[in-house]
Amino acid sequence: MDKFASLLHLTPAILWMVIKVVIVFAGVMSLAAIFTWVERRGSAMIQDRIGPNRAALFGKIRIIGLAQILADGIKMFFKEDLIPTDANRKLFWLAPFLAFVPALMGFAIIPFGKSFVSGGVSYHLSVLDPGNGMGMLYPLAIGGMAVYGVLVAAWSSNNKWSILGGMRASAAMVSYEIGMSLAVVSIFMTTGGYDPSEIIGTQGHLPWNWNIVHQPLGFIVFFTCLFAETNRLPFDFAEGESEIVAGFNTEFGSMKYSLMALAEYSHMMTASALIATLYFGGWQVPFVKDPTVMLSVACFLVKLVFFAWVFVWIRWTVPRFRYDQLMHLGWKVMLPMSMGNLVFHAWRMSQGH
Amino acid sequence: MGVIVKKVELSWLDRTYVWPVMKGMAITFEHFIKQLFTATSKRYTIQYPEMKKEMPEGYRGLHELKRFEDGAIKCVACFMCQEACPARCISIEAEEFSDLNITQGFEEKRPAIFKIDMLRCIYCGMCEEACPKDAIWLRKDYEVAAYDRLSMQFGKWDLMNTYAKADGKDRISQDPTPTVPRRTIVM
Ligand code: SF4
Ligand code: SF4
Repeated sequence: MDKFASLLHLTPAILWMVIKVVIVFAGVMSLAAIFTWVERRGSAMIQDRIGPNRAALFGKIRIIGLAQILADGIKMFFKEDLIPTDANRKLFWLAPFLAFVPALMGFAIIPFGKSFVSGGVSYHLSVLDPGNGMGMLYPLAIGGMAVYGVLVAAWSSNNKWSILGGMRASAAMVSYEIGMSLAVVSIFMTTGGYDPSEIIGTQGHLPWNWNIVHQPLGFIVFFTCLFAETNRLPFDFAEGESEIVAGFNTEFGSMKYSLMALAEYSHMMTASALIATLYFGGWQVPFVKDPTVMLSVACFLVKLVFFAWVFVWIRWTVPRFRYDQLMHLGWKVMLPMSMGNLVFHAWRMSQGH
Repeated sequence: MGVIVKKVELSWLDRTYVWPVMKGMAITFEHFIKQLFTATSKRYTIQYPEMKKEMPEGYRGLHELKRFEDGAIKCVACFMCQEACPARCISIEAEEFSDLNITQGFEEKRPAIFKIDMLRCIYCGMCEEACPKDAIWLRKDYEVAAYDRLSMQFGKWDLMNTYAKADGKDRISQDPTPTVPRRTIVM
């Protein structure tokens, strides 16, 4: 590592950082891209259909339709990039990035593998090293940013449907953020800190010590709120063919649209990473006390992909909520539930558990 | 009279919403697994160019003009189908023919031109119903498409050869000289 770094005129620390950033963001983005296909194929299978299986490399190599991702990308790339005449051009350009960047940024804090020591230097497998003082507050804050992308997209396109979609998204976010944060706070409380590596460390390698077992109520609240947060069914109010056309991205086409779509899937990846970290022991391998680094990364990846799949799975299981039902659920059910969860765990801690 | 709607009483387990969702997820997962491990040929979806749907009995597809064993056309150019056609897409020109070797003065009619405009045809099957000689049939072929309008004008020989390959018959492009009078052939 040192030799390679000096070859590039970099310090090992910077080189390691660059490698991490590339691995994490390239990994998350390609996972997100693959999940656009998994979603289509998986939903097709759930509905007894087949899904996109025809796109083939060079017209011959079919690889169960995986080339669909490439085909979609190329198609999107060559489409005409229209901007409505009355749109706010600057914001219209900015919106896809505002949606996309926060979706990826949240991932920076997540440790995706066990830290290891090499040559007296310890390397951490997360873009932001542990002990940076932000901890889990960072993805929550960034997650709150994500709705700006939707709202700016809606506002700038100067379209009534879009505005309605954007308003719904922001209202949904307001009603869900509190319940979600309170659920996370009770984890902070039982952990005694909010650094993700601390949270993972206290959960340990035994599945019955994971937070999911200790705080199932908190998990349900957090999980439900993530669906609202990532704008996915059953809470995808920002879009809705039957009511508001395509919602916030009605006016978006070409690469802007594909960036929006990719942002949704990146958000999904970040959300599943959060679930895995907070409630399922992060990179901890069940029943293995001291896993190798590779094993821990693989285990994290398995958890990540599983929860991302659950997002797809839930999508085709639960019918869409009505808008007022969402508000009802957010304020009258989720908030009291996470509040109760918090109070219950505070009480347990005061009893010395 | 009003209809009494029975209100469904949900159990407390169903009221939690979490349990029903999990039940629903079990159902969707069952479908997923079942579909995943079903062979392509057994799925509901028909992978069209590779697999073709077997059309049910009585399906009205492309026409065929029937022929006798010796290859002669069964149609006697009676114009019944042309009259019956609601889309007015059949046009026939009749001709007379005779075989003087067999019967002196034995004359019969057959179409010289038998055209169906497949772009106008609505595949209603009226021509089939109207035909007194069972000479025109609608069969199960549904892939009637072409790159230009002209190739959708089916002539007499196109219609006679529509199913030649499927039935293992020779393609013909000429009326054979009849060897026996038509009326002696049992249809
Ligand atoms: S199927 Fe109907 S429309 Fe077509 S040729 Fe026969 S009678 Fe005319
Ligand atoms: S196809 Fe049948 S109905 Fe039509 S002209 Fe020939 S014999 Fe008459």
